Amino acid sequence: MTIVEAAAALRVKRVSSVELTRESLTGIGRSNPKLNAFITVTPEQALAQAAERDVELARGMDRGPLHGIPIAHKDLVCTKGVLTTAGSRLFADFVPDFDAEVAARLNEAGAVTVGKTGLHELAYGITSTNPHYGAVRNPWNTDAIPGGSSGGSGAAVAAGLVAMATGTDTGGSIRIPSSFCGTVGLKPTYEAVSRRGVLALSLTFDHIGPMTRTVRDAAISFNAISEANYVPPASVDIAGLRIGIPRNFFFAHLDPEVEEAVRKAIATAVTLGAVVKEVSLPDIAALNTVGRILLLSEAVSVLRPYLGRRTDFGQDVLALLDQGRMISAADYLDAQRLRRLMYQEFTRVWADVDCIFTPATPMVAPLIGQRTVQTGTIIEDVRLAATRFARSINILGIPALAMPVGFSASRLPVGLQILAPARREDVLLKVGAALEDALALTMRGRTMETA
Amino acid sequence: MTAWKNIAASLDPPIPAEDAERIAPVLEALEQSFRPLVRSIPQGADVWTAPE
Repeated sequence: MTIVEAAAALRVKRVSSVELTRESLTGIGRSNPKLNAFITVTPEQALAQAAERDVELARGMDRGPLHGIPIAHKDLVCTKGVLTTAGSRLFADFVPDFDAEVAARLNEAGAVTVGKTGLHELAYGITSTNPHYGAVRNPWNTDAIPGGSSGGSGAAVAAGLVAMATGTDTGGSIRIPSSFCGTVGLKPTYEAVSRRGVLALSLTFDHIGPMTRTVRDAAISFNAISEANYVPPASVDIAGLRIGIPRNFFFAHLDPEVEEAVRKAIATAVTLGAVVKEVSLPDIAALNTVGRILLLSEAVSVLRPYLGRRTDFGQDVLALLDQGRMISAADYLDAQRLRRLMYQEFTRVWADVDCIFTPATPMVAPLIGQRTVQTGTIIEDVRLAATRFARSINILGIPALAMPVGFSASRLPVGLQILAPARREDVLLKVGAALEDALALTMRGRTMETA
Repeated sequence: MTAWKNIAASLDPPIPAEDAERIAPVLEALEQSFRPLVRSIPQGADVWTAPE
């Protein structure tokens, strides 16, 4: 069930929070051996929390649409008394004595936490093939990656194990697994959701956001966790909305099936009254280069206390940390100066359009262990390909929504990315909901390998 | 060209030579795309702080 469906069922007493939670735990018990979506499951705690929520509802205390709904947290969101590994050997025994702000807010909103989801080691990668906790698998094809770094959250939500899971996004880590798993992922404006208590990867572009099965559920979740008083849009009327389609970068080197599904989504928006306009964006490849300099440097700063423990890192993460250690302070600062210049240049586009449509990733989910991928006419490294359309958006700090808009012939989801100006999540969630209704994508009608 | 392997050896703790060998080409390629961008920064350009 989606959050909207479960919330309605709870209020007419067709189901209880304990029943929803038991169903979630049963699903995890059945699917986790195949998916490895969870590192930790907390059944006793979840059932106790659910029972409390049922008592509250019976007494007339309603905390809102997340009241009694089973959710999960990416395993770098600190949760009081519950193991929080960050997918790393460094934190294999770390049990925080506090809740991250995002976890506290979701508790306050009445959500029931059933466990902690797997991720790429230290959130520093996009495969979620974790050397310490095993590979997380994609529910649509268990030989494929779910994307990352929030791969466990993507797999858990896509498989219907929870209605919502938290994700973090430093270079695409909410949007890439959303694209590969067919879920909705919202990377909000930088610092729209508090980072307090979430183990960091970067110091200036970690973003926290929800991963859900529908855009409306993402809006409900964002409302619960955002710092500002966000109110989900009541209407999905997008007549007159100006949608920018990039002339450059985002439609070059694409899997043709991805391009076809995204173009169909654009055409659907037009049938709803949106106005499409081609736009030229600043040099996104340059922005990606700047982003790599920044992330390589900042991750070293965050993980400096552990750099002597080389054998505790997986090979890919260690290689990235080694690269970061060799970047000079002057280059880091120059990258931050370029970032500001590029942000100012990018911002000009908002005079002409309200939002921008791009593919979320250039390809559908690759197989576990696959090193390169063909995107259109080129063959490139899987990590660089998967982050190609996402990384630059973190550097700009603007909000982005990834949502499913179709399937490949191999039955893997295709993701659309929608961008909007800073603090305009309302635009993303409105156009996303309108598209979701119009495309009527029956994700649940499709057969998953884990079904 | 930057002497990546020398830098790797000079760090504390040092990066083992075989690891430095593996990542040097990646850094070289990154340097090649980053250096022209640095040259384009106008005098007085400030660092990024947050979305405005």
